[in-house]
Formats: sequence, C-alpha cells, structure tokens
Amino acid sequence: MKLITKTIFYYLLMCVPLILIAFSASYFLIKRAVNENLNEEIWNKKRKAETLIDSFKEPKEVFFSIDNLSSIKIDSTNGTGYKYKYLFKMDPEEGEQIWYWQLKSYYKSKGVNYLVTITEPKFENDDLIESLSQMLLLTIAFLIFSFFILNWIISRTLWRPFYKTIHALNIYDVKRGEALQLDKVKIKEFRQLNETLEEVTAKIRNDYKNIKEFTENASHETQTPLAVIKARLDLLLQSPNLKENDMKQLEVIEQSVAKLSSLNKALLLLAKIENNQFKEVEEVDLEAVINKTLLVYEDMISLKNIKVKRINKGSACMKINSLLADILISNLVQNAVRHNEANGSINIEIYPHSLVIANTGDPLTVDKEKIFERFRKNDGSKESLGLGLAIVKSILNAYNYKCNYEYLNGFHTFVLEF
Amino acid sequence: MKVLVIEDEAELRRSIKEYLHNEGYLVESANDFNKASEKTNVYEYDCILVDITLPHGNGLDIVKQLKKAGSEAGVIIISAKNSLDDKITGLEYGADDYITKPFHLPELNARIKSLLRRKRFDGNNRITLNEISIEPEKRLVTVKNTELILTGKEYDLLLYFVANKNRVLSKNAIAEHLWGDDADRVDGHDFIYTHIKNLRKKLIEKGCTDYLQTIYGIGYNFKVNETNN
Repeated sequence: MKLITKTIFYYLLMCVPLILIAFSASYFLIKRAVNENLNEEIWNKKRKAETLIDSFKEPKEVFFSIDNLSSIKIDSTNGTGYKYKYLFKMDPEEGEQIWYWQLKSYYKSKGVNYLVTITEPKFENDDLIESLSQMLLLTIAFLIFSFFILNWIISRTLWRPFYKTIHALNIYDVKRGEALQLDKVKIKEFRQLNETLEEVTAKIRNDYKNIKEFTENASHETQTPLAVIKARLDLLLQSPNLKENDMKQLEVIEQSVAKLSSLNKALLLLAKIENNQFKEVEEVDLEAVINKTLLVYEDMISLKNIKVKRINKGSACMKINSLLADILISNLVQNAVRHNEANGSINIEIYPHSLVIANTGDPLTVDKEKIFERFRKNDGSKESLGLGLAIVKSILNAYNYKCNYEYLNGFHTFVLEF
Repeated sequence: MKVLVIEDEAELRRSIKEYLHNEGYLVESANDFNKASEKTNVYEYDCILVDITLPHGNGLDIVKQLKKAGSEAGVIIISAKNSLDDKITGLEYGADDYITKPFHLPELNARIKSLLRRKRFDGNNRITLNEISIEPEKRLVTVKNTELILTGKEYDLLLYFVANKNRVLSKNAIAEHLWGDDADRVDGHDFIYTHIKNLRKKLIEKGCTDYLQTIYGIGYNFKVNETNN
C-alpha cells in the first residue's frame, strides 16, 4: 500500500466520526432553533387569539388562520392550562401526510371559557435534515477530493527526494566499489536519511573491501607454505630409503597438496575477479579461444571418446579481459568434458552474441539453480573442486553477461549471452 | 655452474638449494634485497632465481640492475603472485623465465637446464644421453641415429625426464609440466599413464634401453647409468 493511500485511509477513518459528531451537533442545534421559532410562532398566535377573544362582543367560535387549522371554540368542560400535541395528518395543499404541532389552551373571557387550538405544520424540519445531509455529503466529497489532489501534489514534490533515494539504492551495487552518491536535499528528514545511508553504505563498502582483500591476502600467504611442502615432498621422494608403504603415504600427501594448491589458486582467482583486478578489456574472438582450449583437453576428449560437434553461425566477439576469456572457456569446456559420459558428445554453437556449450550426461542430482554456487558439486565428481562454474559466473557477472543452464534432451546446456 | 637463489622464505630457499646441489650445481643464496644486490654486483652467476617480494626491496629491481650491468646470467623470476602484469614486467626487464609458487622442484630444474642450454650454446645445444640424442631447436629426437617421431606431449615428457634423470618425478609434477596452469583442470593422471606408455613403447621399438621405472603409485624415474658421457 502506498503511503498516500494509507494516509487517505487514516484520514477517512478519522473523518467519519468527526463528521458524524458535527452532523448530529449541527442537526440538533438547528432543530432546536427551528423548534424554538415554531414555539414562539404558536405562542404569538395564541396571544393574538386571546386578544381576539377579548374583543368579542358576544361569545362565538371562529377559525382564525387561513388554513383553518387554528380555531377558537367555546369550552363547556371548564378546562384550564394548555397542552402540546403532535399530529400526523394530511396536508390538503401538498397532498401528503405531514407532522403538525398543536397547542391547545384554555382562556376565560367575560365569564366564558374558550378552547384555543393552534396548529402549525412542522415540515420545515424534514427539509432541514435533507439539506443538511446534502451539505455534509458534499463537504465530505470535497474534502476527500481535495485531499487526493493535495496528496498527489505533495507526493510529487515533497517525496521526490525520497523516491530518488530509493532508486539510487535499487541500482547500487556494493561489488562495484563505488560510493553511494545521494542528493543534498533541503528537507531535514530526507537529508538525514541520505546522510545515514551514505554512512552505512560507506561502512559496508569498506567491510566488503576488507573481506575481499583478506581472501586475496590469505590465498597469497598460503602459497609460500604450500611451496615449501611441495618442494620438500619433491626432495623426500628422492630419498633412497623409502619403502613402498612410505611412497603410498607420500602419494596421498602429494595429491592433497596438489588439490589444496589448485583450490587456493581458484579462490585467489575468484577474489581477483571480484576485486576487478583484470582491468584491460579487449574484443576477444571466442572461436580462437575455443580452438586453443580444445587442444588442452584433447587427451580427455579422446580418452572418453567424446564427439565434438561445432556449429558456427557467425563470429563471436566478446568484450572481455583476454586472460579471463581463456579461463571462462576453459572452465566451460572442462565442465563439459569432465561431466560427460564415455562415447558422449559436446555441441558447441557460436553465434554473434551468444555461445552454447552442451554436453551429454546424467541429469543433475543438485538443484539446477545452485550449480553456479561455490563448492556445489554433483554427486560422484571427485576430481572437481566445485569452483569452475562459480568462476564462470563470477567472470560473467563482472561484465554483466548472462549464463543460463538447462537440461535439454539429455544435454546439459549452457547458454552465454554477451 | 653457479646458481644464486634469492628467496626470503628460509625453508623454500633450503629446499631449492638442496635439490639443485644434488643436480651438481654450485648454489649460493641470498635472503633479502641488499644481500642479493651485493652478491650479484660482486660475483658472476650462470643462473639467478629471484623472488619478487623481498625484504628491503623488489626482486624486479635486481633484474633491472643485472641487465644494466650487462650480466650474462640467466634470470628466472619466482613469484607468489600468478599475475600477468608481474610476468610481463619481469620479462620486459630482461628476465628469461617466470615460475609461480607453489612449483615442483623438478620443474624448476628443467627450466634452469633449458635456460642454461639456450644461454650457453648458440644453436648447437644437442642433448645426448647414451643412445638418445635430442636437438631442442628442431624438436628432433634420435635413438641410435634413427629419428624417433613423437607427439608434442611425448616430446615434452622425454625432455622433462632427461632434464630430471635419476630423480623420482611425481605424477603431479609431470602433469604440471605438461599442462602448466591447466594441470589441475585436465585430471591429468590417467593421460600421463597413456603418454608414458606410448613414449616407452616408441623408445623400446627403436632399440632404446628401458630407462623408465614406475615408482609404486607415486610417479616415475628415468634411471640412466651414463656410460660414455
């Protein structure tokens, strides 16, 4: 729900009882005023009737108003005092039933008791309620309408810096390493918001940078002890006193060191890509890179008896660092070879702005959304470090290129768009 | 042959010295920039191994000094950073080769040998080992004076074995030599076996002694008792 909608909702919620109170209050006040007026009218008429009675030379009965509703009659019951009465009867002129107010009072003049009846229509009150309701409805409608207009104008002008800030945050990416730049606004709250956001993002940026540098430094620092272990193993292997069992132990150590070493290299590479350390970008002809890469893997390809099919639908030039292009293609081809089956095939399709590398193989055992994550391995791929596709993703991310994976007709299909 | 090892990490320095000493080199070492600078100014070396990151200075500056002084020594840069920039800068300064930590000592040895061969003999740098003769310039191998046709990998393998004869070479070291940076991508061990099997077959077919020994599961040894040279 937008802020403006919410505001109006609360405004209306608050307005309803207020309007009701105002409505009833004005209704009762006006009703009382009208009634008082009516009452006064009746008493005036009563006084006029009494003056009229006083002027009678002899007792008689008369109607003294035009509408024949008020009358003077001779009373034989000797009644005293007065009595109000409400009547609901036909109004001859309007042709409908309306309310009347009737005052009956007794008056004694020259020894004769008179009953004075004064009847006044009360229809003004109904009209009053009707017009009052109309007025109030109109007021509410006007209020809501003007509030919408006002809020629209306010949100267009007053909230503009806020929406600008949201937009800036939306497109902000801490990985790019740039500072978040927000406008200097006059409204204090928004200025505070922007300043706070700038401070917070600066801190996050700094932390992120530190972590990345840490990864890189840690990988570098690991190289030296690894180099020592590797060198010492090479020396130890030359010892004439080693028995078969010692050699077997050494082999395990060798393998683990080799794995650790490649793991370290891969992590260092990832850190470097994320630190944007491969700055030079050039137009790289992917076909040449693919040819070069297939040579590296020729042994693996022929051992598994994999058929490589190539389809060229134009020359694919990718704007990328040339070293990263090598690594990118190498990782994809490696993936296609390593996770292939014996006598399988690899299809490579080159288009001007996309590249498809597909290989036969069993379906994934892991979620396909997760194959680009670090250390995410399909079951049974022991040789794999689980970093190859993470590196692919990381390289493509650095240039805002896309890579999609699908399992189509028995083929693991990777589509690169650039 | 005199080799200078400029490396600040003591254990690595010692390992390199030991391996190269066993290869018959006269090995000296320096552990920081100043000592390295001093030694290179005073003595002549055939080959200098220099680490880029050194206490009190940058290894690349030593390369610069050497080339400025017109030194004939072959220079191999050792770096912990697998950085293309360092590599390019180093080679621009006049270094002859570049090797990234962590590396296998037989690899370093093979690089030194190849470098010295290139430096010392102009054009005529034939390697002879009993009945095997290799001309690296032409990538030509002859056994008992008949030419041996080898694939690229088999040739690299033979040269590597010859450079590290009588040494136990682990499969990892061999894989790294054959595939370089791609070694950890190609799951090389199965292919090493295939290549070695083919190489051995070809050598034996030409009447060559079977020098290649399998050392349990770990690797191979090109065991040669040199008779006439």
